[in-house]
Amino acid sequence: MMPKILLVEDNEMNRDMLSRRLERKGYEVAIAVDGAEGVEKAKSGEFDLVLMDMSLPEIDGWEATRQVRAHPGAEKLPIIALTAHAMAGDREKALEAGCDDYDTKPVEFKRLLGKIEALLNADA
Amino acid sequence: MSARDSNAVPNGLVGRRQAALLRLTTAIAAAKDEHEVYQSIVDGLHDEALGYNFLGVFLVEPESGDRVLQASVGWEDVPTDMHVHSGEGLSEEAIRDGKLHYTADVTKASRYFASLASGSEVDVPLRMDGETIGVLVVESSEPDAFGEDDFEILTAAATQASIAVGRARLLAAERQRAAEFEALIETMGIMSSELELTKVLQAVIARAVALLRASGGEVAILEPETNELVVLASENIGKDSVGTRIAIGEGAMGTVAETMEPVIIPSYHEWLGQSPKYSDITVHSVMAAPLLIGKRLVGAIAIVHSDPERLFNKEEDLRLLRSFAPQAAIAIENAGLYTAAQRQKQYFEQVVVNSPVAIVTLDPEHNIVDANPAFQTLFGFSEEDSVGHNLDELITTEESRKDAVQYTTQALDSPIRGIGRRKRKDGSWVDVEILGVPVLVDGERVGLMGMYHDITELLEARREAEAANTAKSQFLANMSHELRTPLNAIIGYSEMIQEEVEELGHDEISKDLQKVHTAGRHLLSLINDILDLSKIEAGKMEFHIETFSVHSMIQNVLDTTEPLVKTNRNTRVLEMPDDLGDMRSDLTKVRQMLLNLMSNACKFTEDGTITLTVEPDEHAQGRFIVFSISDTGLGMTPEQMANLFEEFTQADSSTSARFGGTGLGLAITRRFCHMMGGDVQVKSKPGEGSTFSIRLPQSIDELATEPPGAQGGGQK
Repeated sequence: MMPKILLVEDNEMNRDMLSRRLERKGYEVAIAVDGAEGVEKAKSGEFDLVLMDMSLPEIDGWEATRQVRAHPGAEKLPIIALTAHAMAGDREKALEAGCDDYDTKPVEFKRLLGKIEALLNADA
Repeated sequence: MSARDSNAVPNGLVGRRQAALLRLTTAIAAAKDEHEVYQSIVDGLHDEALGYNFLGVFLVEPESGDRVLQASVGWEDVPTDMHVHSGEGLSEEAIRDGKLHYTADVTKASRYFASLASGSEVDVPLRMDGETIGVLVVESSEPDAFGEDDFEILTAAATQASIAVGRARLLAAERQRAAEFEALIETMGIMSSELELTKVLQAVIARAVALLRASGGEVAILEPETNELVVLASENIGKDSVGTRIAIGEGAMGTVAETMEPVIIPSYHEWLGQSPKYSDITVHSVMAAPLLIGKRLVGAIAIVHSDPERLFNKEEDLRLLRSFAPQAAIAIENAGLYTAAQRQKQYFEQVVVNSPVAIVTLDPEHNIVDANPAFQTLFGFSEEDSVGHNLDELITTEESRKDAVQYTTQALDSPIRGIGRRKRKDGSWVDVEILGVPVLVDGERVGLMGMYHDITELLEARREAEAANTAKSQFLANMSHELRTPLNAIIGYSEMIQEEVEELGHDEISKDLQKVHTAGRHLLSLINDILDLSKIEAGKMEFHIETFSVHSMIQNVLDTTEPLVKTNRNTRVLEMPDDLGDMRSDLTKVRQMLLNLMSNACKFTEDGTITLTVEPDEHAQGRFIVFSISDTGLGMTPEQMANLFEEFTQADSSTSARFGGTGLGLAITRRFCHMMGGDVQVKSKPGEGSTFSIRLPQSIDELATEPPGAQGGGQK
C-alpha cells in the first residue's frame, strides 16, 4: 500500500504536474484547490503526508497548517511547505506555523522526493 | 692816495669808528630775522661825523642777477625793494671779484648810478660760504672821504653782517621746517580722524598751497578701472575742477603720471603739453608731482602760480611739494583700503539680508541681536518680535526646548549641524536644517550665528523618492513572482516529460527537453538575481543567521556543481582542513555565492582544474574563513577586472554573448559579502586563470559593527 499524499495547490498546472510526477513514483495523490478544502481533507486522517502551498486564496498555507495542527489526531501529520517566494523569513514562518519541512517552487523534484521519503520513513 | 690816511685822522674819529662797529654788533645780535640784520648794519654804521652819510645793503637775486635793496639809510625816495640791474652802478665790481672797491670821486666814475652830485663811495662785498651774496654800499657826500681805517672797519662790519645773515637764514629755514612739520602733523591728524578722502585731499592741497605761497592747486587720484586721473580736490585755481578726468599723459598731472617724475612748467599757456581742460584759467606756472606708493601710481598733485612774476624754485619748492606728495599718496591709499573694507562689509551685509537662508545672530546669553528678512519670513516674527528676545524661547515649545538650548549652547563653542523642528509665530511647525557657528571677533567670542534652512520640501521630496523606490522594488518583486509562475510550469513539465520519454527510450527528444529545462533554470536564476538586487537596493534584503557545519555546506556546493564541472571536462580539487568546525552566518547566501563563483569558474575553463580552497584567517578583527575558487581558464586583464563587481558588467560585452549571464552575480556577491562583514577579491592574469576569494567572519555575531540582522541589513 503506497503512501497517500494530499497536495494543496491552487495553480492548476503546478497541481497537474506535481500530482502526475508523484503518481508516476507510485504515490496516491489527492488534490485540494484552496486552504479551506486542504484543511478539511487533512483532518480526515486519510493522508500520510501533506504538500502545502503557502500562497493560497481565502485561507493561506500558514493559517491552513495551524488549523490542521490544531485538529486532534493531525498534530503529527507530516506537512511540507511549498512557496514560490524564495523570500527570507518564509521558511521560519512555515516552520513556526507547524510545517515539518520546506521547499521552494519550482520544485526540484528529486530534492522534494528526498524530503518526502525522509519524513515518511521517520514517521514509520 | 687817500687824503686822510690813518695817521692824519684825529683820535676822536678812531673812537667813533669803534663805537659804530660796537653799535652794529649790538644791533645785529638783537636782530630777529634777516631783514633786521640788514637794517641794523646800516643803522649801526650810520655816522655823519665819519662821513658814513648814505648806506645800503643789496643782495644779489640769483634768477636775474639784479641787486635788490634790503635796507638803507640816508637815501631818499628810494623804493624799498629797489632793483639795480646788472651792468649798472659801481657796486657791481665788488660783487664780481668779491673785494672791497673804493671810488674817491663818484663824478668821475662812468658807471655811477647817479644819485649824488659829488662824493665818494666804498663797496664792500658780503660773502657767505665762499660766495658773494650781496654788497654793502657806503657813500659820503664829500669826495675822498675814506681811508684805510674806514676800509678796515667796514670790512669787519661786512664780515659780522655776513655771519649774522647766515645765522638768520639758518633760523628762517629752521622756522620753515617747523611750520612744514606742523602742517604735516595737522594733515596727518585729519587723515586719521576723518577717513574721507576728499576732505583729506582738500586739506593737503590747502596746506601745500599755503606753504608754497602759491595761488592754487589740485589733487587727482588714479581710478584703476579706467586708468584715468580724477580730480578730487581743487584749491583756488580759477574754476571748480573737481571731477575733471585727465588721461595719462594729458596736461601737467597726466604728464607726471606717465613719467613718474615731478615737473615744473614756467609758462603753462605756452607749454605744448597743456590740457584743453585748463585753457580757460589764468595759470601762469605749474609744478606737478606724481603720488606714489612705492613705485605704484595712486594720483598726482599740482600747484600753480597765477602771478606771472612768480616762478617755482627747482630746489626749495620742489622739496616742499615732495614732502607733501607721500602724505597725499598715503591718504589715497588708506582711503582706498578703507573703501574696500567698507565695500566688503556692505557686501556681506547684503549677502545676509538677501540670503534665502534664515540667519540670526545671538549674544552669549542667547538673545537675538539681529535677524535677517529670511528669518522673519520663515518664522513669522518681525524684527520687533525677535531682536532682544531669547531665540530658543521664541521658536521652540516646552518639549523641544531642551534640544534647542543644547544646540545653542554648543554653538557658542564649536560649529554644530543638525535637523530639527521649530515653531513659527502662528504655532505651526517647520522642519529645518540647523547650522550654528560661534562668532569670534579678534579671537574673542561675542556670540553665535544660527542658520535655518527650511527642509520641509526636501523631506517631502525624500519621502516621495523613498516611496517611489519602494514601489519600484515592490514592482520588481511582484513581477519576478509573476514570471516565476509560468516558469514553474515550463521547468516542471519539461522535467516530467523528460522522465517519461527516457522511460520510453526516445533519447533524441530527451536531449531537446533537457535544453528547454536548462534554459528555464537559467531564466529562473536571472530572475532570482534581479529580485535579490532589487531587495538589496530597497534595503529589504534579509539575513537569517544560523549555525552550520562548513564541511556540510562545502559538500553540498560540490554535489550541486558536480555536473557543471564535468560539462567542460574540468577537474575539481578541494583543499580544506578537517577542523574548520561550524560557521555562524546566512547559509543560503554563503552557498549562493560559492555556487555562483564555482559556476563562473566552470563556465570560463575548459579541460582545466578548478580548485576550491577553504582556510581559516584569524587576526585582530576576528576569525574569518576564506573561500577561494581558482581556475586555470581564460583569465582577465586589469581593464577587464576594473568593473567586474559593478552591476550589469562582465569582463567585456562579448563575454555575455559567449557565456550568458546577467552580470549581476558578482555584484550581488560583493554586496552580500559587505553586508555580512566580509569582502570579495579577485586575482587574475590573461591566460593564467583567475582566483576569486570570499572572506567572511566565522561568526557574524562577533562583528564589531552592527550585524545586518533580520530587520533588514540593506544599505544605509
